[in-house]
Amino acid sequence: MRKTFAPGNVAIAEGAITAGLKFYAGYPITPSSEIMEYLAERLPRLGGVVIQMEDEIASINAIIGASWAGAKSMTATSGPGFSLMAEAIGLAVITETPIVVVNVMRAGPSTGVPTKTSQSDVLQARWLAHGDYIVPCYAPWSVQEAYDLTIKAFNTAELLRTPVVILSDAVIAHLWEPLVIRDEKEVTIINRKVPKEGEKALPYKPDPDLIPPMPIFGRGFKAIAESLTHDERGYYAPRDDSYRALVLRLHMKIFKRLDQVFDYESYYCGEDCDYMLLSYGSVARIAYLAMLELRKRGHRVCMLRLKTLWPLDEEKLVKSCSARRIIVLENNMGKIYMDAERIFRDREVYPAPLLSLELPSLRDVLEVINTWL
Amino acid sequence: MVFNLSALEEPYALISREHGKFRVCIIVNRCKECGLCIAVCPTKVLVKSSVINAYGYHPPEPANIEKCIGCRLCEYNCPDFAIFVERVG
Amino acid sequence: MAMKTPPLIHPLDKHLRLDRVPTMYCPGCGIGIALGAMFRALDRRFNEGLLDPNRIVWVGGIGCSARATLYVNYDAAHVLHGRAIPFALGVILANPNLQVIVIGGDGDIAGIGGNHLIHAAKRNIDMIVVMITNFVYAMTGGQVAPTTPVGVKTTTTPYGNPEPPINVVKVVTSLNANYVARASVTTPHYIESFFYKALGMKGFRFIEIVSTCPEVYGRHIGLRDPVDMYNELKKRVKYKQKPSIEESDISWDTGIVIGEFLERNNPSYLELLTGVRGK
Ligand SMILES: Cc1ncc(C[n+]2csc(CCOP(=O)(O)OP(=O)(O)O)c2C)c(N)n1
Ligand code: SF4
Ligand code: SF4
Ligand code: SF4
Repeated sequence: MRKTFAPGNVAIAEGAITAGLKFYAGYPITPSSEIMEYLAERLPRLGGVVIQMEDEIASINAIIGASWAGAKSMTATSGPGFSLMAEAIGLAVITETPIVVVNVMRAGPSTGVPTKTSQSDVLQARWLAHGDYIVPCYAPWSVQEAYDLTIKAFNTAELLRTPVVILSDAVIAHLWEPLVIRDEKEVTIINRKVPKEGEKALPYKPDPDLIPPMPIFGRGFKAIAESLTHDERGYYAPRDDSYRALVLRLHMKIFKRLDQVFDYESYYCGEDCDYMLLSYGSVARIAYLAMLELRKRGHRVCMLRLKTLWPLDEEKLVKSCSARRIIVLENNMGKIYMDAERIFRDREVYPAPLLSLELPSLRDVLEVINTWL
Repeated sequence: MVFNLSALEEPYALISREHGKFRVCIIVNRCKECGLCIAVCPTKVLVKSSVINAYGYHPPEPANIEKCIGCRLCEYNCPDFAIFVERVG
Repeated sequence: MAMKTPPLIHPLDKHLRLDRVPTMYCPGCGIGIALGAMFRALDRRFNEGLLDPNRIVWVGGIGCSARATLYVNYDAAHVLHGRAIPFALGVILANPNLQVIVIGGDGDIAGIGGNHLIHAAKRNIDMIVVMITNFVYAMTGGQVAPTTPVGVKTTTTPYGNPEPPINVVKVVTSLNANYVARASVTTPHYIESFFYKALGMKGFRFIEIVSTCPEVYGRHIGLRDPVDMYNELKKRVKYKQKPSIEESDISWDTGIVIGEFLERNNPSYLELLTGVRGK
């Protein structure tokens, strides 16, 4: 264990190292570049490789290749680069490749405001690629949590043979806070299942947990990484039965382990409240202050903070709090709000869109909340 | 050559002929009747056969096997791994 | 139906996923000829004991040519259109003990994947890239490709292609590659010997294989019969020992020079990487 003082980008890089990162490919983009720069210095000394690619498409395809060669792999980017990665997210999904993709959100659309924060990519994290799939997504609210959730992201990726997205933002990226970096032995590290040496397993035949052991390249498995819809052999299978079996399993393997994937924190939710604030990421920091302030003023208000944005454990969320009114605070036009409205369908759910290039001030937040109180 | 037509029923049926030095074999159900082997053979050993394979194609047969010089051009130019040449003895 | 392991009959059968043969390729498609020649080169290296079949990884994007990865009895990846090279880069950097072979069409490698090709050559990444040039986007039904000659009518250039083709050999040679060669499916022995040589080298190795697509390109240029197309290509192909880059332009009128355009031993990416790290 080591105590230090670091910005969020460094925390993500350190979390990846603790989790066992061995290959990083990326393309510079504000506000994510420090992740690559930091790793470029640290990772080679730990036996890993960092390479700056020609673009983000190359970066994500390279980490998928590296993962098939057995390396825990990651890339980091921001909105414009994340958009370029769309097709390959689907590739990682259908080939069931563990990778971690960090999107340090900045204001868009398009080039937007490169240096300023936003939370407007939360639906991109959910729906970036074409086709039916779901990819787990984590959103840290502090430097320490950026570190912790990066480890969790790798564990989820390895456990479920899936790409995992970390949604940070420009505020967390450059915020300096105390950080505890743990030794490998002090944390749980999950490594993917691999077939036994010499075993001629079907590359996409799942175990009872719905996860097929991953036949790493170079070990005599005659593995197949197939982007076409395939059967358990990895052979192209343009038939309803195979297509359904594959797409359903790709979903079910994630939902079956909601206990591992989904995480949240609640504050004062056990009490009999009128209002619940729902928030996540950097904005949750101010939402939390707002809740304390409102409580001081005598309002019966609690808060729920999502650490996992996708998939949402709807049952847990519904049971988490009995407040009749829910105010969803997020730095975008109201995105998680759409799901919250559906999940809490028998309650009053209000959007509190912030559209703020900086971390919103407590005053701003209290103001939007006040419109619903 | 005695060619057993019932062999066509099984997926790995061979048409095979040899002379003292070389044997030319055609894996009947891999052939797509492209004609390349027939075209590249320098001594005109191969001709299209009257056999119809499982996919409806006519594989070649080494009708003039006595002329085969074992150059393997047929084997190297077959896109479907359907014809090969062996040295005999 | 219970699957039996098919017996090995053809001398190259051990290289094939026999349960996927016959391939989906059209009759007389040149891709199979190229694949066979590459298998023979692999056999020679295996027999020398210099290469372990378990350490070979084939990577293809999307297209008829890239689909060769479905038939090889090795570790194989059939990934995104144009992205085989970055995928392969990740594989080799994560495990330098592997031998990575990228195979794809000219659209896959030099069109949509062109920037990756340039950068892999610039970095002298340890991989072999085999580009099958059939002058057309075959898999999608006959649209213009980066190598389509001027004037040829394709489904998306119905009045004739107005764009001069890319000479990919010239592009790659201008970069930091260690080996650049061109062969033709009408000269399978040269495919074999160039690929054999490439298997023994380090760094970025590029082999263009001029191929026949009788089904789609043949229709465009009036050579629908596989034998006609093969013979017309064969007429134009000229082997030269140490040809110069100046004569590398592909021309259906003046001929297609094949041979080894570049061979050198610049330090490869992996060699430079370990060198830098050692300091
Ligand atoms: C991103 C994307 N765009 C387009 C396609 C459709 N597509 C499939 S193969 C292909 C071109 C194939 O041409 P080439 O790479 O030259 O290979 P060939 O089929 O001629 O061997 C295209 C455009 C795709 N699969 N993915
Ligand atoms: S080996 Fe040569 S001579 Fe004999 S059949 Fe084949 S092409 Fe003809
Ligand atoms: S070259 Fe092969 S596929 Fe073509 S006709 Fe001859 S045996 Fe059949
Ligand atoms: S369309 Fe052309 S390239 Fe594709 S399999 Fe057929 S002949 Fe070959």
